[in-house]
Amino acid sequence: MQDKRSRELSRRNFLRAFGGVSTTAVAAATLAPGEAHAYDPGEEETRARYRETDHIKAFYRVNSYPEKK
Amino acid sequence: MARMKFLCDADRCIECNACVTACKNEHDVPWGINRRRVVTINDGKPGERSVSMACMHCTDAPCAAVCPVDCFYTTADAVVLHSKDLCIGCGYCFYACPFGAPQYPRVGNFGTRGKMDKCTFCAAGPEEDSTEIEYAKYGANRLAEGKLPLCAEMCSTKSLLAGDGEIIAAIYKERVTQRGYGSGAWGWQTAYRETVEV
Repeated sequence: MQDKRSRELSRRNFLRAFGGVSTTAVAAATLAPGEAHAYDPGEEETRARYRETDHIKAFYRVNSYPEKK
Repeated sequence: MARMKFLCDADRCIECNACVTACKNEHDVPWGINRRRVVTINDGKPGERSVSMACMHCTDAPCAAVCPVDCFYTTADAVVLHSKDLCIGCGYCFYACPFGAPQYPRVGNFGTRGKMDKCTFCAAGPEEDSTEIEYAKYGANRLAEGKLPLCAEMCSTKSLLAGDGEIIAAIYKERVTQRGYGSGAWGWQTAYRETVEV
C-alpha cells in the first residue's frame, strides 16, 4: 500500500515538473512578440476589372433618356 | 480610374424584389441570407418609398476598419471585397456596417455563424477569376466578364443603377432635371396629388 502511494506520488511529481516546464515553453512561444501581417491580396487580385465594353455601354444608354433628334 | 457605385432611384423602385432574387440566383447565395434587400418606408401610405440596398462599397469602409483579422481589401475599381479564408465570422463588420450588408450563413453552437457573406459588386473575391473555387466561395465574377452587377442590369424600372460613379451620377442628374418632382411616371399626380408631403 505504502509502495503504491509513493509510486503515485512520484508519477504526479513527474507530471508536475515536466508539465510546468512544457506549459512555460508553450506560453513563451505564444506570447513572444512577432510581426503582424495584414492581408495583402496582391496586385493581380486588386487590379481593375471594369472596362467599358459594348455590354456596359448599352446599360448606360438604356438607363439614360433617349437623345433628342 | 472608374469608381464602382450603386445608386437607387427611389422614385422608380416598385419593390418588386427582382434584384434580390436575381442576386440570389446568380451567386447561388445560401438559404437564409440575402446580399441585397429592398427596404420600404411609409409602407401603404402616400409618399411610400422603396430603396434597394446592399453593400455600398464605402470609400473608407467601417467593416474593414473593425475587422480583427484584416480580411477586407479594396480593389482598383473601389470595390470592397473580403477573403473568406481569413474571415473568422466574429460579426464585428455586421455591427459596424451602416447598411447591414454583412450576412452570416448559419447559427451554430457557441455563437458560431460561419464565414461572412456580402455583395461583391459581382466582382467575386481574391481567387483566380471565373474559376469554380471562386464561384463556390463568392459567386459569379461578372465584372471580369465585362458586365455590371445583375441586380442593376435586370431592374425592370431602371431604378437601380450600377457602374462608374460619375456616369451613373450624370444619368440620375439628367433624370431629376427632366422630370422635376416625383418619378415622372404617368398618373403620379392622380395617385399622390401635388401637395403630398414626403
